[in-house]
Amino acid sequence: MPNVGAELASVPFGKMIYDMASAIARSQIALDKASIELVKVLANTTFDYVPDVVEVLTPNPRQIQPKGKPPMVDKDGNPVMVTGVQVDTDVAKPFPLTLLQAGVNPTFYAFTNSTIEVKMSITSTQESSNSLDVGVQVTASADFLFASGSVTSHVNFTASNKYSYSVTGSSSMSTTLAPVPPPKNMMPRFFLVNAMDPAKITISQS
Amino acid sequence: MATQMYIVAFKGTFSQEVSRNVQHCVRQHGGLILMVVRTGVIVALDDSQAPMVEKHPDVALVGGVTLNPRGYAAERLQRIFAENLSKQLEIKTE
Repeated sequence: MPNVGAELASVPFGKMIYDMASAIARSQIALDKASIELVKVLANTTFDYVPDVVEVLTPNPRQIQPKGKPPMVDKDGNPVMVTGVQVDTDVAKPFPLTLLQAGVNPTFYAFTNSTIEVKMSITSTQESSNSLDVGVQVTASADFLFASGSVTSHVNFTASNKYSYSVTGSSSMSTTLAPVPPPKNMMPRFFLVNAMDPAKITISQS
Repeated sequence: MATQMYIVAFKGTFSQEVSRNVQHCVRQHGGLILMVVRTGVIVALDDSQAPMVEKHPDVALVGGVTLNPRGYAAERLQRIFAENLSKQLEIKTE
């Protein structure tokens, strides 16, 4: 008779869990290494950053002069003025800024949820059949002096047993990969020193 | 199928031709160029397409990046990304 308990016990759960955990650990290391490489790329990529552009507006009154015509005057002969404006632009000196400083962070990933699912189907069938065939044949004959008789019998017994047993199994493994904030130990710290007040240092980390 | 922001780093030193080739490859795989820098391009790319772009001979690595809103120039970068995106997106009107 099939022993379902024994079949389930034969499933190598421990090995499956170990293999999956081991694969996840290896993948996590590879992902972290790739993200660290990315930190290096971002920290070494600079672009010229223009911190600010100052636009200074100054009044610039002027007399209206339609195209191809003399300057306009009112009925008293006073010039018709409009409040013009002059825009002076002052672009600050650009300085190199890394992508990391600018705010581009590498994405770190972590395996958050892993599932191992094992499905097993055990089928057992047993079929028995017996057949018994018994026959008796009696013949007798008699005449004036003799008499004879015979008895024949047969017994046919057939027994058959069919037994089938099958176990089918399937397993599936799934895991979820989610982006997570950069681990603090993997990200550089930024020290902002204000030259006007060197005692005041601001430390920040992504 | 999700679109993420990636940096596609160039192999070797920067050249206009390498940059153009990589950008062309990104566009062929349905990506959008957000910003071009000397070491690579920042792109918006579908997750499934990232490994294909990584196979390009001029690409050193493709890695996911995020924009840290506390970054020194995060807002400026966001504007640059949006401006570059608008030049590549086709809006169909019916």
